[in-house]
Order: sequence, then structure tokens, then C-alpha cells
Amino acid sequence: MKLKGIECLEMDLRKVWKLLRERRAVSTVVSSVILTGAVIAVSFVVLFWAQYRSSAYNEQYSEAMNADIARLKERLAFEYVFYSGGNLTVYLMNCGTIDNVTVKTVYVSNSTSVKVFSTINLTNFNGVEIADQDLDRGEEGCIVLSSLSLQAGTSCSVRVVTGRGSTFDHTFVA
Amino acid sequence: MTIRLSLRKRFRKLTVNSKGFSSVIGTTFMVLVMMFLSTSVFLWTLSQNTLYNEALRARNQEEADRSSENIVALTGNYSVSGSEVTVNVVLKNAGSVAVQIINLWVLDSDPSNRRYTNKSLNLNLKSGDILNLVGLNGLKVTIPGASSSHNFASWFVTAKGNTIPLEKELGVIVAQLAQGIGSIALDFYTFRYYTYETSPPNKLKNYPAGNISFNVPSGKDIAFGIVLSNLDPSKQTITFDLYSQVWIYFPQAPGQNRLWHIVNVAPDGTITTPYSPITIAYGETKLIVFATETPGGFKRVSILQEGPCALNLLLLGKIGTRDYGQNIPFVSLYVYKP
Repeated sequence: MKLKGIECLEMDLRKVWKLLRERRAVSTVVSSVILTGAVIAVSFVVLFWAQYRSSAYNEQYSEAMNADIARLKERLAFEYVFYSGGNLTVYLMNCGTIDNVTVKTVYVSNSTSVKVFSTINLTNFNGVEIADQDLDRGEEGCIVLSSLSLQAGTSCSVRVVTGRGSTFDHTFVA
Repeated sequence: MTIRLSLRKRFRKLTVNSKGFSSVIGTTFMVLVMMFLSTSVFLWTLSQNTLYNEALRARNQEEADRSSENIVALTGNYSVSGSEVTVNVVLKNAGSVAVQIINLWVLDSDPSNRRYTNKSLNLNLKSGDILNLVGLNGLKVTIPGASSSHNFASWFVTAKGNTIPLEKELGVIVAQLAQGIGSIALDFYTFRYYTYETSPPNKLKNYPAGNISFNVPSGKDIAFGIVLSNLDPSKQTITFDLYSQVWIYFPQAPGQNRLWHIVNVAPDGTITTPYSPITIAYGETKLIVFATETPGGFKRVSILQEGPCALNLLLLGKIGTRDYGQNIPFVSLYVYKP
């Protein structure tokens, strides 16, 4: 019985030795391993690249969408526009649903010309400068635009462009 | 070879031969990864679109609410005292949504004094609410150089950004005319007198029509019916107390005065006691009956003297919360012997 077990072990060792000595299929195995490794590596590269591209796309899309949503929530009401002595005073109120509405540019136009104001100073109705230069929800502010020459009694319009890119128009009689 | 045998042979070959199996697994794995990535991106994009749509819907709702605001500024007028301008207005929320008014702007549009001012307010009007901002409740603003001869323009601003222009009341002249003689307008053409039914003794005959005439019989118990309108410029309710009366005097026979105090009359013409104060709201017109000699009770009155006489209206009571008293010469009568 013991003799039979030793014979079996010898036979197994011989098979292993034969397998190690046999070189006929080695090249196929190596090439398969290399090929598989390369494929896996390329696959991961493609996967990470796709993930990077999709997250970049997500970020870009998200930013654009958030900007659009913020712009949608903005609304400025013109409480009064008063022109006297070359100065145009525009009284505004943020009646939208978003804070921090800034005024970037103001266009004042009549039938013949357009004047652009890019340096805007927001004050409250008492003339005191608003510290953060923006209008929160329900906040009122005033802009004084000087050096204008509008003809009294003519119809003019004022366009306010906010920092987020919304535009609000109002027509008044100078 | 049957089809069944052929299929079985093919399946056996497929399961036994493992060549190319890894490619299938790899491809499947890659397809799954790509599907996972694209589905994630798609769903995320969808969620972003949903956010945008929600913002859009909220914006549309705000616009709808804003356009649903419908405040009517009625019977507006201005009174000026020094540089203080009082804006009298009745605001009515005729819309379907509650409205908050946050600002009043007043502009002196006179070319000599083009000045303006604004006043912060916090007025909340629910749908259907009416707000009387007249008289003592009028909105006062200060405009240096303002004068009663100037023209003013004013408007309210709501929290949603709408502006409500105040339209000046044309009928203010009528009210001011009424103020010249008091706050009550009299109707000469509907002046009437009543006689009494025989039973019950406190029931007026032919009430409310009565006898529209300036000729009244002597020696008969009579009562008077007068149609009064409240045109108080401050638009307050007037209440008559029991001492309100009409009284007559004969210029040719001094001392023959007679007086009739105000009474309550049931719809069937029965005079009821004790007297319960009668009120007339602004703009309201009422038929008021004067019938009793004793204030608050009931004692019939007759005229014994004949000839022409003058009838005066003596009114006492309250206007709003303040005391009110007015004496107005009214109609002339001729007392004849029946």
C-alpha cells in the first residue's frame, strides 16, 4: 500500500518536470498574458478618461444651469426714475427671490443716442452708500447717473444689466 | 440529423470549447461600464434639467401672482398744510391674492417745485379688503415748497414690484361743497310729511312715500321725512343721537316754534321706542323721520299756527369717533288750514 503511494508521487513529480521542461506552448501563454494586461491597462485608461470627461461636462453643465436658474430668480422693479439737471436718479427694488443682485451696467437711451454707465454706485434711498453694493431680497437702492442731456418731455428708456446678466428695462418721460 | 440533435451538438461544443470566452466577458464588462457611465451622466443631466424646470415654474408662478395683484386706489385727493401733503385714499384689493404695500411715492408735478418724496409703508390687504386712508388716517409726507394749488401725482409700490397709481377723485368738489355746509347733503325734492293712522297711534300713514309737499296742514299731528346723504370729505360714518331734530319758526308769529325729534321707524311705518341711534355711512343715503316732541320717546306734534314758516335741521351725534353737530336751514313750508 505504502509502495503504491510512493509510485504515485513519483509519477506526479515526473509530470511537473515534464511540464516545466516543455516549451512548446510558452510563447502563446506569454503573449496572451501581455495582451490581456495591455487590454486591461487601456481599458482603465479609457475608463478614467471617460470619467474625467463626464465629470468635466457635469461641472460645466451644472455651472451653466445654476447661472441660468440664478438669472431666472432675479427681478428688479423700477420704483421711480427722475431726471433733473442732467442727473438721472433710478430707484430700484429687488423683488426677486435671490440675494446679491449687483448692477453691472446701465444704458440710458433716447431716440437719438445711447449712453453707457459701467461704474455704478448703489446707495439707499437716503443717499447712504450700500456697503456690499448689491441688493438682497426686498432691498431698495438708488443709482444716480450724471452728465446726461435728455430733452425734457421726451420718452427715454433705461436698461439695467445685473452682474448675473439679467436685463431690466423701463421707459420714462424726461 | 434532426434539428434537435444539431442544436444539442452545437451547445455541447460551445460549453466544452472555452476559446474566446474571456473576450466575451471583457466585452460584456466594458459594455456594462459604458452603460453605467452614460446612464449616470444622462440621469444627472435629467436632474439638472428638472432643477431648471422647477426654477422656471417658480418664476412663472411669481409672474402669475404678480399679475394677479389688483389694488384699486379709489377717491384719491390731496390736502396741503405747509410743506406737509396728506394723501387721502381708499385702497381696495380687488384681486385674488394678498398684497403687501411697501412704499408710497408722491410727486409735486408743479413746474416751479418738481420735488418728490417717498414714505415706507407696511400695509397688508387680503383679497377683498378695503383700507380707508382718509382724514386722520391719511398718509402724510413732506414736500418742501408744496402748495395746495400744485398738482400732485402719487403711486404705491407693492412688495412684488407692482405700482398702483393714485387717480384723483373728480367728485372731490361735491365733497368739498358738502364740507362747506357740513357733511350732510340734503334732498329738497324728496322732502315729505306724514300723517298718522287712527290705530295704532304710532303708525305713520303711507310710509315711506308720505306726502311730498311743502304745504302742510295745521291742527293735525304730522311727522317729517327727510332724505339725507353722507358726503363727509373724510368719509366717516355719521351717527345721529336722540337730540337730532327739525324745528320750525314763523317769522310773522315769533314764539310759535315747533320741533320734531328723530325716531326709528319700522318698515310698516310704526314708530319704535326707545330711540336707537341711526347711522349713515359715507356715500349712503337714508330717509330719516322726525316725529316726536320728546327726545328718545314718542309724543305726536301738530302745528297750530298757519302761514309760511322755515324749517331747520338740527343734527347732533358723532362723525367717526368725534362729536358732530350741524344746524342747517332747510325748506320753507306753508301751513294751511285743512
